[in-house]
Amino acid sequence: MKILISLIILLNALQSHPHTFIEVYPNIKIKNNFITNIKFIWKLDEMTSSMMIMEFDGNANGKIDSSEQEHIYKNYFISLSDYNFYTEITIDGKIQKFPKPEKFTSFIENNRLCYSFEINGKFDKNKTYFDFGDTDFFIAMILKKSFVKINDVTPIVSDLDNDFYFGYRLEFK
Amino acid sequence: MEWYNQILKQIITIQYQLNSYISTTIRSLNDNNLYETSFIVLTIAFLYGLIHAAGPGHGKALVALYFTSNKADYKKAFKMGYMISIIHAISALIFTFGIFYILKTMFRKNFNEMSILTMQISAFMIICIGLYLIYSAYKEKNSKERKLQNQNKSEYIVAFSAGIVPCPGVMTIVLFCIVLEQYILAVLAAITMSIGMGLTISIAGILSILVNKKTGDFLDSQSYLLEILGGILIIVLGIFLFNSAGYK
Repeated sequence: MKILISLIILLNALQSHPHTFIEVYPNIKIKNNFITNIKFIWKLDEMTSSMMIMEFDGNANGKIDSSEQEHIYKNYFISLSDYNFYTEITIDGKIQKFPKPEKFTSFIENNRLCYSFEINGKFDKNKTYFDFGDTDFFIAMILKKSFVKINDVTPIVSDLDNDFYFGYRLEFK
Repeated sequence: MEWYNQILKQIITIQYQLNSYISTTIRSLNDNNLYETSFIVLTIAFLYGLIHAAGPGHGKALVALYFTSNKADYKKAFKMGYMISIIHAISALIFTFGIFYILKTMFRKNFNEMSILTMQISAFMIICIGLYLIYSAYKEKNSKERKLQNQNKSEYIVAFSAGIVPCPGVMTIVLFCIVLEQYILAVLAAITMSIGMGLTISIAGILSILVNKKTGDFLDSQSYLLEILGGILIIVLGIFLFNSAGYK
């Protein structure tokens, strides 16, 4: 019975699973121990990209034009704020609201759809960490140490133990 | 739960690699390497299905609960696993080809809407199964023959309920093949991926039969209580699914 109950709890909590994979490439700027700007590039997996590109690239010229950019931003990207852009920022133990992304652009690279955007703020690098993951577990965010660009500071990428979905944590030495 | 997190990590990592490998391989398909590459694609699709179904969802919870609360043999677990995966694949093929050819545009949005609708239908059916299991356990605990007939009926309902939700994983591969105008490969990849998923779902069923057998000795005389409990848990699962669909 114990096994049965454990099974219910585990499987009830998880009714979706990743179908889309997003590689996260953060480029972090630090001034006086404070993170002031992060430029994120998200690279969607090729299969998901093929669906999205077909829908987004209305004139089928293999590029995301400015009108198409606007369509993506308004109809797809900005609504991800409901999911905190799959990124949870914690400063001094307190979860912060994800800053409004700026300079959004979308482009196609090696048959993959990419989103690029920046956030600005003042985050103490010693007290801040970033958790990447989708609580619904529909999206899998992929972060590797080699994806992180940062000067003079060593990034630490670790597995995030959320019990019911998987993610990565980025913090700094 | 560190162990669970590690399993999830492995499932994601392997899926992520297979997803990338399968898309690259399909894209490399041409007249000169048609058969070899198709074979590779189908092999990867099988493995992808196997791993993909190991992740959350795909009716494993329902199958597990069903077999924990109903006596059955391993053959039935395989039958159930494959019925679910076949319905899963047919449903994904119909939705993908249907949406692609009928609507042409905005299919990704529609995929989501369709998924919510089918999830709600599925959840409703799952709740009905739970109620049915409780009813049959209570009413027919003394009639073994009728119980067996009803069990067969409910197996089909369980398989249909779990399978009707089209698998977005299969839909993605099918659509990717359609985009690259590999229509036959789309159907074959859906079939092989389903064979892989069927195996994983069957294993979930077999594990639950094992649990049932272990507890069976001392619960045999009161087995209807276990069936009622299983029915209640299936209803809870259905309600949870219904709510999840509403929030998507």
